[in-house]
Amino acid sequence: MESVATRHIVERWIGRTLRIGVWGSATLMALGLALAWSSPGTLRLPSENPHPADVFHSLLSGSLDPVMVMFAGLLCLMLTPFLRVLTAAAGFAAEKDRTFVIVALVVFAMLLGELVFSLQ
Amino acid sequence: MSAGSFLLLIAGGVATGTIGAMLGLGGGVFLTPFLVLVFNLPMHQAIATSILAVIATSSAGAAMNVERQIVNLRLGMTMEVATVIGAIFGGLTANVLSGDILSKIFAVLLLSVSFMMIWRMRHSRGISTPVEAGAFPASFTDEASGEVISYSVARVPWVMVISLIAGNISGLLGVGGGIFKVPAMNMISGIPLKAAAATSNFMIGVTAAASAFIYFAHGHLNPLIASPAALGVLLGSFLGVRINRRIKGAYLTWIFAAVLFLISVKMFWR
Repeated sequence: MESVATRHIVERWIGRTLRIGVWGSATLMALGLALAWSSPGTLRLPSENPHPADVFHSLLSGSLDPVMVMFAGLLCLMLTPFLRVLTAAAGFAAEKDRTFVIVALVVFAMLLGELVFSLQ
Repeated sequence: MSAGSFLLLIAGGVATGTIGAMLGLGGGVFLTPFLVLVFNLPMHQAIATSILAVIATSSAGAAMNVERQIVNLRLGMTMEVATVIGAIFGGLTANVLSGDILSKIFAVLLLSVSFMMIWRMRHSRGISTPVEAGAFPASFTDEASGEVISYSVARVPWVMVISLIAGNISGLLGVGGGIFKVPAMNMISGIPLKAAAATSNFMIGVTAAASAFIYFAHGHLNPLIASPAALGVLLGSFLGVRINRRIKGAYLTWIFAAVLFLISVKMFWR
């Protein structure tokens, strides 16, 4: 019964993580579009996609550049599955299922490797 | 971008998200041709946008399915090992192929999907005979009947091979891959259709994320296209789930299989 209860809690964590990721990214994308709509003359699309660190630095510095805000929303959306896998790994750890902690961490490592390799 | 184009993009996203949710597909199968044929977007940009749409619909749907305890998390995570490998190679391959070649490969995929939709409708087993002594034992409550369905998974190696192929297609063409994974889980491994669809829906977002940064790094993601499209698909997927309860599935499947067939011809000959 304790294992079933733990599993239900884990599934709620994962569901909550997914909702936060989806709604957070949707909010940023919608905000970016609204900002772009209100100041179309100042819109500047970069020739290359900016590095994620630059995007989040721009946001944290208080800049409301519409393009950067939209990129932030898109990056949040792309990172939500990463969080999904990490939360699942934490859930398997809570259920003391070592095998699937390792499986989930292998998947996370592959995702992280692809991200790092792509951004180099 | 003009106001008209912007609204058309959102409307297109809503339509593709709605149709995808009603047919149990991710948005990519419909969104990519829409972006290419209506907006004349380069194929790589259309694929990158579709990948975002797949992540959006998967995340939204999986949130509900996980909390309803239909998703087989252990099976899904194990299949992800193969799918992610396939998706990474698919994404890398797509960025060395020309848009024309990708367009023709996509046309062939649409043709396969249209036939798969009909075949799945005729041959899928809603609640299959439970596999005994298989792997990844799980159970869920069927909301329609109130019955608790217990099952386990047979022929796991075959499902892993199909996951690898589906992941590769996902990374190459910006689709979720569920159209291949769900029948494989249902008909090869004996997983009840609802659990197979929910588990696949949980997976396709992770699969899409595996190639998303490859397209991002190559500069194929245009935020002015991707943001409204992703928002539209997200809204559409919520609508599709609600509409789906009221419309006969078989009728819809025939119509959209025919639509996909026509789109595949158009994509091949453009």
